[in-house]
Amino acid sequence: MSADYTRPLRIVLAGNPNSGKTTLFNALTGAHHKVGNYPGVTVEKREGTRVHNGQEYRFIDVPGIYSLTAYSIDEMVTRDFLLDEKPDLIVDVIDSGNLERHLYLCLQFQELGIPLIGALNMSDEAESKGILIDEKKLSTMLGIPMAKTVGSKGGGVEEVLDLIARTAAMVESPSSAHNVPDSARYVRYGAEVEDRLRPIEAAIAEDGAFASRFPARWLAVKLVEKDSNALARLEAHPAAARIAAMASDSVAWLEKHYGKDAEIIISEQRYGYIRGAAKESVSIAKRPDFSVTETIDRVIMNRFLALPIFVAVLWGLFQLTFTLGEYPMAWLESLFGWLGGLVEGLTPPGPVSSLLVDGIIGGVGGVFSFVPLIVILFFFLSVLEDIGYLSRAAFATDKLLHSFGLHGQSVFPMMLGFGCSVPAIMAARTLKSPRDRIVTILIIPFMSCGAKLPVYVLLAAAFFPHKAALMVTLVYAIGVALSLVSAWVLKKTTLKGDATPFVMELPPYRAPTLSGLLWHVREKTWMYVKKSGTVILGASVLIWAITSFPAYEPDSERRATWAVSFAEANPNAIDSDIEAFVDAAAAEAALERSFAGRIGKLVEPAFRPLGFDWKIGVATLTGFAAKEVVVSTLGVLYRVGEGESEEGKSLREALREDPSFNPLVAFALMIFTLVIPPCFAALATIKAEIGWKWLGFAFACLLAMGWGLSFAVYQMGSLFAATAA
Amino acid sequence: MFVSDVPVGASFKVLRVVLDKEVGKRLADMGFTEGTEGAVVRGGFFRGPLQIRLRGYDILIRRCEAAGIEIQPVDTVGASV
Repeated sequence: MSADYTRPLRIVLAGNPNSGKTTLFNALTGAHHKVGNYPGVTVEKREGTRVHNGQEYRFIDVPGIYSLTAYSIDEMVTRDFLLDEKPDLIVDVIDSGNLERHLYLCLQFQELGIPLIGALNMSDEAESKGILIDEKKLSTMLGIPMAKTVGSKGGGVEEVLDLIARTAAMVESPSSAHNVPDSARYVRYGAEVEDRLRPIEAAIAEDGAFASRFPARWLAVKLVEKDSNALARLEAHPAAARIAAMASDSVAWLEKHYGKDAEIIISEQRYGYIRGAAKESVSIAKRPDFSVTETIDRVIMNRFLALPIFVAVLWGLFQLTFTLGEYPMAWLESLFGWLGGLVEGLTPPGPVSSLLVDGIIGGVGGVFSFVPLIVILFFFLSVLEDIGYLSRAAFATDKLLHSFGLHGQSVFPMMLGFGCSVPAIMAARTLKSPRDRIVTILIIPFMSCGAKLPVYVLLAAAFFPHKAALMVTLVYAIGVALSLVSAWVLKKTTLKGDATPFVMELPPYRAPTLSGLLWHVREKTWMYVKKSGTVILGASVLIWAITSFPAYEPDSERRATWAVSFAEANPNAIDSDIEAFVDAAAAEAALERSFAGRIGKLVEPAFRPLGFDWKIGVATLTGFAAKEVVVSTLGVLYRVGEGESEEGKSLREALREDPSFNPLVAFALMIFTLVIPPCFAALATIKAEIGWKWLGFAFACLLAMGWGLSFAVYQMGSLFAATAA
Repeated sequence: MFVSDVPVGASFKVLRVVLDKEVGKRLADMGFTEGTEGAVVRGGFFRGPLQIRLRGYDILIRRCEAAGIEIQPVDTVGASV
């Protein structure tokens, strides 16, 4: 290794999904991570550094892919990153137990002309399955330096780092003859194909500047594979038209000669090449053993049990999450309450103190209190993801989802939607067809997110005290039903089209690693926290402003009137009770006169047919910041004051005592909360993922549906009550 | 004969994939190439997806994709996969 280059090397960690890439990434980089986004897309990009023998390596994790012929958005991100960002080196993470298919990708990386190293990961698992790889032989045959690794235990990390150092040194000093990197060798596709590839390669290489951007060998192969992205990239070549014509002539010749599609010929030759290499360097001590996974799958994927088990898993997930989440949520609530009190004591009373305490700490704190719930839910979802249950869930639900126009792969985004819509909407990017992706994103708001739960719980506990759990479950179920029906309608109308294929790897069950789980949780929670830090902070300030201005302070005469009326109604009341009532009445009067109150009054006619008064109108408006804010707004509106552990209980009572509220209104409001457009953060994510047009469509549809359904519930309920009475 | 016609537990040898370009290419990328041996492990409820084992790993495909993979049945049930 030469000591003269100090530039950090940019190393991409790429590979198939389920190759243990994340665990190896963690083993290579330790705790030094940086998270960003790939330009233009919301796919998370993680970077980590490692210093080895004085050289700094920057590892970049890219989404797992099956082939460089990109299929989903994730795969396009990886392909474009490799082509456009020109990393110094690629480490391809290979599942040693699934060598053929993983080498298939590896050989495509080799054609990119970027120095390449293979990490034969999970080698312990492969060996226990009886697959013995002679990595020296394999690497000589393929011309790719390889090392065995066990990412989950940190095994082989030093060897990989040494290989990187050696390969990088060769690239840095290509002068010495024997230092030509092995990876300059490529797959041979057989004489007929090679004869066609050679002139195309040569023609591409004629333009040096172009060939330094896009490796000639790679592009020639991709052109014969009829890759539309490769064709688009060729446009930058001065002789693009001539080369494209050469490629299509070659394709025609090959297809005539072989009697099959050119892209299939390439795949077959590549697999044939791998078979040959594997025959020499891999020995199978015993027949591949699927026994553990097979035994579990006999139950989990049983044709009759798969779907009921999926429902049970989902149900268990929620039970566990909400039971465990209760405690840390309460701690955080009291922490923010304490913080609010502290700031209130430190700042002189006035609008600044009010902005800090009620606006920022109250608003953001309310949302942060949900972080434990989200963390726990995402933790369990990540466990399911890492042990390999999600493919089983897709297997169990594909038929059902497919009959409603969805896709088995929609199931994971939908499950995430119960936690927070933001990561759920992003997770839809694994869906290949844009139509499926749009439909999935559009129905995610029907999955009641964690923030809607407190609204349901409050209303159910207040008005259905003996059936609260049942009512909440019912609302969740209605949400799921609405999502399926909406998907069906969308697929029959705006998003018409043929069914998209379902092709999905079914990985064996694997024990999750803690570092991998924590990584997933951190990644998904971070999106939620970021939303509280940005969108919700802004929205909290806005809501504080419209509820606080114009300021109103009742004169002493009015206060006296309230005090007298309260004292008359409650003859036993002590002074502090009276004072509290007067303060609360003043707060309500102020709110009624504020911008929010005026807006609430203004929109009240629209809410009347649903049985809602202006207070619910205001609460709904503030709910756009975050749905749980609905609860705190109602708290303010029903004069139960800020904070304190008694809030829930007293708000419940206050709602019950309000004559304009009854179980029917409460149910209508639960449905309304379920269906109306999601919070700003989710709306912003929809816009980022699928654009303004669909955002507008979703917003209008959800608003109309929310209003219509609540209207139907309230009106039919009233009618029914009237006939019954 | 096509993969969709293979009874659960039986093995087959791929002849060719007769599906439109993108899926056809993806299935080839996933290892469904001429001569590859595979087996149908199980099928989902109510004609749900099929679990196929080939090249030492498992993959799920719908029956409509399976109906586009032409195969030749292999006699020995549970033959080397």
